[in-house]
Amino acid sequence: MTRRRLRVICAAVLCAIFGVGLFASTVSPYSYARQFRERPNAAPSASHLLGTDSLGRDLFARLVYGTRVSLLLAPAAALLATLIAGVFGGLAGLVGGWCEKLVLAAADLSMALPLLFVLLALRAVLPLDISPILSVIATFVLLGLLGWPSSLRVVWATTRNLRNSDFLLLARATGCGRWRMIVRHVFPNLRPVLFAQFWISIPLFVLTEATLSMLGLGVMEPLPSWGNLLRGLEDISAVSANLWRLAPLILLVLVVICFQLILPAQEETA
Amino acid sequence: MSSRLKNLALIALLAFALPVRAQTGGELHFCLHGEPKTFNPVLVDDEPSENIRYLTGGVLIRLNRQTQALDPALATSWKVSRDRRTITFHLRKGIYFSDGTPFSSEDVAYTMRLLMDPETHSTTGDAFRSGEGAVQVRAPGPDIVVITFPAPIAGLERLFDQVAILSAHSPKKEMAVLGPFYVADYKAGSYVLLQKNQNYWKHDAQGHALPYIDSVRLDIQRNRDIELLRFRRGELQLINRLDAEQFDRLQQENPVVTKNAGTGLDAEELWFNQVPAAPLPEYKKAWFRTKGFRKAISMAINRADLCRIVYAGYAKPAYGPVSPSNQFWFNKSLEDPKYDPQAALRLLAQAGFRYENESLKDRAGNRVEFTVVTNSGNAAREKIATMIQQDLTQVGIKVNVVTLDFPSLIERITRTFDYDACILGLVNTDLDPNGQMNVWLSSSENHQWNPSQKAPATSWEAEIDKLMREQAAAATEKERKAKFDRVQQIAAEQQPFIYLINKDVLLAVSPSVIGAVPVVLNPPGFWNVETLRLGPAPELGVQK
Amino acid sequence: MTSSAPLLSARLSVDYRNKPGVLRNIVVEIHRGEIVGLVGESGSGKSTLALALLQLLQLKGAKVQGEVIFQDEDLLHKSESQLRAMRGRQMSVVLQSPLTSLNPALRVGTQLKEAWRAHVKGTKEECLSAIRTALNSVSLPDDDEFLRRRPSQLSVGQGQRVIIAMAILHRPALLIADEATSALDTITQSEILSLFARLNRDLDMAILYISHDLLSVAALCHRVAILRDGEIVECDSPDVIFDAPRHPYTQRLIAALPGACFGKTLSRPLEILS
Repeated sequence: MTRRRLRVICAAVLCAIFGVGLFASTVSPYSYARQFRERPNAAPSASHLLGTDSLGRDLFARLVYGTRVSLLLAPAAALLATLIAGVFGGLAGLVGGWCEKLVLAAADLSMALPLLFVLLALRAVLPLDISPILSVIATFVLLGLLGWPSSLRVVWATTRNLRNSDFLLLARATGCGRWRMIVRHVFPNLRPVLFAQFWISIPLFVLTEATLSMLGLGVMEPLPSWGNLLRGLEDISAVSANLWRLAPLILLVLVVICFQLILPAQEETA
Repeated sequence: MSSRLKNLALIALLAFALPVRAQTGGELHFCLHGEPKTFNPVLVDDEPSENIRYLTGGVLIRLNRQTQALDPALATSWKVSRDRRTITFHLRKGIYFSDGTPFSSEDVAYTMRLLMDPETHSTTGDAFRSGEGAVQVRAPGPDIVVITFPAPIAGLERLFDQVAILSAHSPKKEMAVLGPFYVADYKAGSYVLLQKNQNYWKHDAQGHALPYIDSVRLDIQRNRDIELLRFRRGELQLINRLDAEQFDRLQQENPVVTKNAGTGLDAEELWFNQVPAAPLPEYKKAWFRTKGFRKAISMAINRADLCRIVYAGYAKPAYGPVSPSNQFWFNKSLEDPKYDPQAALRLLAQAGFRYENESLKDRAGNRVEFTVVTNSGNAAREKIATMIQQDLTQVGIKVNVVTLDFPSLIERITRTFDYDACILGLVNTDLDPNGQMNVWLSSSENHQWNPSQKAPATSWEAEIDKLMREQAAAATEKERKAKFDRVQQIAAEQQPFIYLINKDVLLAVSPSVIGAVPVVLNPPGFWNVETLRLGPAPELGVQK
Repeated sequence: MTSSAPLLSARLSVDYRNKPGVLRNIVVEIHRGEIVGLVGESGSGKSTLALALLQLLQLKGAKVQGEVIFQDEDLLHKSESQLRAMRGRQMSVVLQSPLTSLNPALRVGTQLKEAWRAHVKGTKEECLSAIRTALNSVSLPDDDEFLRRRPSQLSVGQGQRVIIAMAILHRPALLIADEATSALDTITQSEILSLFARLNRDLDMAILYISHDLLSVAALCHRVAILRDGEIVECDSPDVIFDAPRHPYTQRLIAALPGACFGKTLSRPLEILS
């Protein structure tokens, strides 16, 4: 019962955070880009709930809008990555043979490939003057497309164990078709793994996005994201003086914990 | 006792104690921000090595970092010929290297030949290479040296500030020096220890041998935060360069130790891509080539805010290629343009732009929108870009900001020219306009807005080319100044570079260092190292 | 008991890629409604034979030669989709361990539903009634609570009954039980054995009962085949096998039984089990 209650609380917290992100424009008193130049680095006050950043921008507004950007797009990217990992990892694990070799080689290659150079090459190819919204979407599509290899290995390992299992043999012996077997017999067993990979990817992608903007690929100024808000924490000595600056970090941790606590509930409703 | 009273007491104490308490001896301790690559003064190419050269090298002429005038050093006098090709030095007599080898004109001749030998690949020597042909060095007497260059060199004598004289005979080679200190110990990656050169020629007014200090310990420390931490603990007595944020924090903690030497020579600037072959739409290229457009942008940028917010007030608005702290070359007659978005809009209207519904359109109806690139990892530049982005919304211009890693940025601004506008810094170590020659000549690779032109693209660039060449060949400094003043005037009219700010030179100096007078020229903290004294170290922690 | 044309008539040789001669020219004949026992020790090729009959060995990279005539058709020449339609509907299998044979992620009801949907497109009600019938015939509860259980919430005996229920869902002509009782305790084992006997009687279902346990085979089967190192060394009625084994291996097998002297009594299965 307490577990159930915990889940309800977590779900409520997540809904609240998502809601705030969705209705950012009504929740936040100011635009995320407005610079109150007469009061940079202000402490929290009635007019600025979380104070202002070094350019005088309202941190609460930036956090709220950043929530929208990160919380809508990071899960989307995580979904994409997990989907790729699930489909190809599952395929490799089930079919085996040259298909397995090919997929694993591709995963190893993309893990071994210096990602930095791929990203640099990509930045060179992309036009400079894409709008911030587009760059946000491009960023997370990119994360989704690049974030699959580690998940794939996990999915593959799990599927390979399934491949030799008695219950799949039995399913086949009861005349179950190949496609139906994947959907109805293999997938339910992979679900916990896929969910775990999905949840793990979200905070990872939120943070990766922050480093991407160093390469001119991430969420561009003045659009806020959790990533670039977290980048503001790099200067530790400045943070220790302004503890309220930790708000984005606390929010990220909160969201990840809530997601994790809800996870088992998903597993049991199969 | 209030802290102000305490400070007063301290100052009073210092004032009275100085003649009595300050003694000779002691060790000055501060940091180099990287590994010195060489101790050979001829080969110096990096800042740590240059600092060592400044502390150990003896030069013929010394640029006084405070007055920005030239002081005699190993040369008691010098004379430059009318054609600016030949310089004659009269040398100080009775001087010995740190190892006891006597100094004579042979050493100067040896140093100059080594410096100018193409095999040496000396960066310092490159400054003297004005034309084809060999440099002739003659030593008609033990205290006379005559050097003749193949072509005239503007500001010739000033260049000798960088030429530390080597011994032609000493078995210790470049480790025998004529400066106030010599390198006594060096542990790679850890420290360089300099000891007082007992043979140093200079004495103070009372006849005391200089320097007063016995030794200088230079720790090799790349991490600025650790440097600051050690300074606060009292382990270091000097920080030669602080960023605005560190300075601000230190100032709140302990205002006595922070020293603002004033506006520095380095500038941050914005420029538009004017390369004709750039892969940009023609209408964009037309904007960037429009003088009114560039001037309007310059007017619409609130430089005072940049200084106040990005640099915590430790910067000054910049309007031209020469920092006001460059006393001789700065063109004082130029008026500072004012921040005025309304005037900017009027200028844009004159140039054919229309401002409607808070957005600016050109004649053909294209929305004015461009991307500013800058290098990632430089927080100040990113902030500047974001603030300019905001400023320009007031004239209806939409700016995108993209940060790129440095190699990609350089690739774009020097090879592919696939960018609209760029914010970068200009590092100025030289007071002389010749130091900016490579920026202003239209044929130069560093003529950023349109580099390596076969022939000047515009009449004003042609005029700048002509003026820069003329000033280099002009007979007197006054003539040169007149020419370069005109260059500054054209730059202000055309705004090929939109100068944004000049950063202040910020230092931290422990109160135990007596006689420190920070300046904006390098090295800002210890340029007068030979007259620095060390007093008792007051507890820095007390005032926290 | 025997009709003119046998239900299944197989003549098989199986080679694995790294282990040739797993089965060497095995001949198995099963008639409608007949229970045939196949006895052999571990590694003799019993499970291989079960999978070979279902044409599931090829997936593991084994080479199957010979012929498998099932209901007058050679399975070796059938397409995969034809085989799929046959598996579970006309010929089904029960594997050794109910713990690993049930999909841990699926509820009992879902597993049964899947097995039914593999062959029939019908309404929910039809599906449910088929499942209930099957559960009833293996003496399992058919209520919703039971259908919602996960495999981990079943006892071993219940698990095996669920698997048998799945196997008989479509009333197959032949049920292959591969060590179906080996993992069970003695009481459950005898219950399952009597279940097989009842199914055979009630549904007129032929059973190939594969086991290493000669006693249970003797109790259940009409005919017993002794498999050794990929070959069938002897095949006859349990009476003959127990009373007058001809092959030395069979003789040793019977001599090794703990209660060898009671062999004759035990060989009258239906007396005890009915």
